[in-house]
Amino acid sequence: MNTTLIIILAVVALVFLIFIGMYNNLIRKRNEVDNAFGGMDVQLKKRYDLIPNIVATVKQYATHEKELLTKVTEMRAKATSGNLSSDEKVDLDNQISAGMKSIMVAVENYPDLKASENFLNLQRTLNEVESQISAARRTYNAVITDYNNAIQTFPSNIMAGMMSLQRKEVFVIPETERQNVDVKNLFN
Amino acid sequence: MIKKEELQSLFENELKDKLAGLEGLRKSVARRILGGIALIALPIIIGIAVFVYIDSNINMSMDGLAKVLPFIIIAFIITGIVLLILNIKKKKEYRRRYKIEVVCEVVKAIDSEWSYAPDDRITQSEYYSSDLFRKNFDRYKGDDLISGSIEKTDFRCSELHAEYKEVTHDKDGKRQEHWVTIFKGLFFHADFNKNILAKTYVEPDTAERLLGKFGQKFQMSSKGKLVKLENIEFEKTFAVYSTDQTEARYILTPAIMEALVNIYKMYKRRMYLSFIGSRVYVAMSFKKDLFEPKIFTSGVKYSDVEFMFNLFMMNATIIHELNLNTRIWTKE
Repeated sequence: MNTTLIIILAVVALVFLIFIGMYNNLIRKRNEVDNAFGGMDVQLKKRYDLIPNIVATVKQYATHEKELLTKVTEMRAKATSGNLSSDEKVDLDNQISAGMKSIMVAVENYPDLKASENFLNLQRTLNEVESQISAARRTYNAVITDYNNAIQTFPSNIMAGMMSLQRKEVFVIPETERQNVDVKNLFN
Repeated sequence: MIKKEELQSLFENELKDKLAGLEGLRKSVARRILGGIALIALPIIIGIAVFVYIDSNINMSMDGLAKVLPFIIIAFIITGIVLLILNIKKKKEYRRRYKIEVVCEVVKAIDSEWSYAPDDRITQSEYYSSDLFRKNFDRYKGDDLISGSIEKTDFRCSELHAEYKEVTHDKDGKRQEHWVTIFKGLFFHADFNKNILAKTYVEPDTAERLLGKFGQKFQMSSKGKLVKLENIEFEKTFAVYSTDQTEARYILTPAIMEALVNIYKMYKRRMYLSFIGSRVYVAMSFKKDLFEPKIFTSGVKYSDVEFMFNLFMMNATIIHELNLNTRIWTKE
């Protein structure tokens, strides 16, 4: 009688411990997702800070790109205004990426601008930030995949169901980034 | 920088003659080694045979010859040993000339600006900075240091052999020492084109190759957290650990991952990389000693020179494949 009770207690304790382990694991994964999203945000902010500088410099030389520059400035203002859902934000950031890329392509037509020391520095910084953004996105995707695997595979999906954790979407590289940038049609 | 086709003509026009000139020296070194060994081995064999013969013919008394025989044998052995010792100097001379007349020529042919020091090596502090192998070594050897730069990227590369001493006790409690290799092969480091703050390590992935995805569960390292990357082929070949997940991806862009897989395919060696401070460190394992002259087979062979060339080109290959000369980021 006594032994049966001990066995039952041991099994209950074991199941309890497994659940604690799963719970902690899921929470950790969710926090990693938040952290990675934050990391991406930091890099995006760096780009927001850089945009006015680039726009100001390009404006001095590139007189025919006014429309493009205004568009990017507007998008930046919208992105930093703060009242956007995360989906909208992602979408807007993709557009900004494309916009910055087309500015850099347009610059090819202005040799004076390309030679300017100030612009070269800004261009380097932009490359740096873009690489950091892309690295942060890849980290975000890796962490999300880990998280999704955890909440969708047995047995941790039971626990995830109880905690009502939802599947999250990975970052998809937007079509505009995969294609070669077509400056004219970009904002049509 | 010369191409492979030009190497062939360099070999035909210049190196072949130099190597042929060295052949005489090589043959005399080889002869002396064989002679020395023969002088030691033959008397021992004869001695054993004689004593076995005497032993089996107990009736035979020790006559004059048998009495002096041990002295003759010892005299032969001593001569053999002396010959071998004297030969060490000659062997060194052969090695020195080979390095200067052949190895150095190949290095200069690749890039006349590169410097080559036959007896110098990557320093211990450089080795420590790489943080690739954390086991403490008891013996540190190396040679054939090459340094120079390719466009904006400076590099240093040498052969290295780091070992530690292991002491075991057998059944009878007798102490046995043996040397265990930590790393043997080519060690290379170059200026990296991006600013690095964290530490990122790329190592051969044994667990995942054997066990597939399941193997990821066994990938652990004191060097940092496992970084899971998107390139499947890269993931099968390497395991990445880093103290900063995002920086690891900043360094290992899709293009760099592809490049590392290419380098691996080219050399098919165990490769260890680390990205620390402002540099990338690469250690490529080799079992045999590199850039050493052969003693018992002919030294005049194009394949040897070609092999050497391919190894030296590793410096250029890594720098080109990793695009280290692309300086479009904030680091100049």
